Amino acid sequence: MNGAGNGTGAGRLAGKTALVVGAAGGGNMGQVIARRFAWEGAKVAIAGRHKDVLDGLAEEIGGVAVPCDFTSRTSIEDMVGATDRALGGIDVAVNATGWGLLKPFLDTTDDDFDRMTILQLQGPFRFLQALIPVMERGGGGSIIQISSATATIMFHDHAAYMATKAGADHLIRTVANEFGHLGIRANSISPGVTETPMTAEAQAVPGLMEAFIKGYPLGRYGTSDDIAAGCVFLASDECFMTGQNLQVNGGLTLRANPSKADIESSIQTALQCEGRS
Amino acid sequence: MSISASTRGAGQGRLAGKTAVIMGASDERSMGYATARRFRAEGANVIIAARRQEAIEALAHRIGARAVPCDIVNEDSLSALAQVALDDFGRLDCAVNYAGIEVQSSILDITAEELRRSSDVHFVGTALFIKHMARAMAQGGSILTASSLTVLAQAPGHAAYAGAKGGADIVVRVAANELGEKGIRVNSIAPGFTKSAMTEAYFEMEAIRRAFLKEMPLGRFPTVEDIAEVALWLSSDEAFVTGQCIDVTAGQALRRVPLASEFA
Repeated sequence: MNGAGNGTGAGRLAGKTALVVGAAGGGNMGQVIARRFAWEGAKVAIAGRHKDVLDGLAEEIGGVAVPCDFTSRTSIEDMVGATDRALGGIDVAVNATGWGLLKPFLDTTDDDFDRMTILQLQGPFRFLQALIPVMERGGGGSIIQISSATATIMFHDHAAYMATKAGADHLIRTVANEFGHLGIRANSISPGVTETPMTAEAQAVPGLMEAFIKGYPLGRYGTSDDIAAGCVFLASDECFMTGQNLQVNGGLTLRANPSKADIESSIQTALQCEGRS
Repeated sequence: MSISASTRGAGQGRLAGKTAVIMGASDERSMGYATARRFRAEGANVIIAARRQEAIEALAHRIGARAVPCDIVNEDSLSALAQVALDDFGRLDCAVNYAGIEVQSSILDITAEELRRSSDVHFVGTALFIKHMARAMAQGGSILTASSLTVLAQAPGHAAYAGAKGGADIVVRVAANELGEKGIRVNSIAPGFTKSAMTEAYFEMEAIRRAFLKEMPLGRFPTVEDIAEVALWLSSDEAFVTGQCIDVTAGQALRRVPLASEFA
């Protein structure tokens, strides 16, 4: 999907206002979602920590840059307020923030867990609280939380990440149940392993990504474009879904992520191949 | 606003070049017909199928589709249905199964005949539908089948119906896992209490309507068009989704199915 330019796509989000948080990393999932939304005709606000990156994307897609630190309640409330004023309401809101901490369970510190909880569980909680009055005023809206397949299936050394993502999914169900009557729909999307800046380090290790492929019935792992397509579907007026955790991961949850041993052997094999060539 | 059922996008060619089989489209108020109409609007060649030839011919004519009689409990007619797609259009890309029957009985009164009838249509029929459609999908594709709210929340009197539908959802997952390498995705859609040809009689009973509506967070009933929209997305190349049961119950699965005593 070449997403540049505002409204050159099919117009499936024409006339809508959208806020995408977690779009301040070059080429990250939030950026891909924001580009796709703009391409579908939405007026888009993008939020995140790095103003210069946001400004660049805002200019590219004709959007609005709203700096935000998702670990701060005040910052989240300010972001929602600023977006509301700039766009005249918020019809669609996506939380694509995250911190992919990999650390053995027994080594994970209270500080790690606190940081993870503040970003990945309190963050969505505060975001949802701030969004609901704004969406109520606009007659409803669609909220999309980027979750993870690992909120359902296992991956080693990932407990704090997985637990907080699973917690946020349950917040989404709560909002769906309690605020559906206001026309607010709330869903989450679970990617599997995806080529994003968050996984850049892993992608650079020879053999590592290959270890994941076997877990995907469809024979490939996902892209940010797959997730953006899921977001457009959940964001559009035609979608009558709420309270759901949509698995956009090529069937990964039918199988499994690789074990530590699988990954190690895949890396060994890749290194041996490299050594021979 | 975002839950309006009235705004349906005009066709954008989202299924252009594809051929779709839609099973269980014998009534203009059915999910099958709504899906067939939506798929046609999005550029697909459509074959609609059901037991009653006269019914589907008239509907097919209206939307420029092909009509093929087919009974889901007859395996030969399923393989013949897939063959029509290959003979007439040279390919099969999407298949959607809505064939279903009503079976209701309390567990104390349930009969082997009721269990077998439900199983034949909803469980065996669905599995064979997936088999024959998948065999015809040489270029990969998408297979969908109707699950049910009753699989996600307990509905009194629905042991035979929900048991067979739930079994079919497991078949969907196993099939998705097996067929992924052929580029075939397999999913189900669980509609909530949707006004359709099959449920229209219930919708005439105000007490039932009210009892169900109370359990729907979104505050309105799903429509056949809502179901068609999800079928469209899952059938398009955009959906990197397989082995899933997609809930379109207006959020009702977060709550419950009311008891019959509440209808009084």
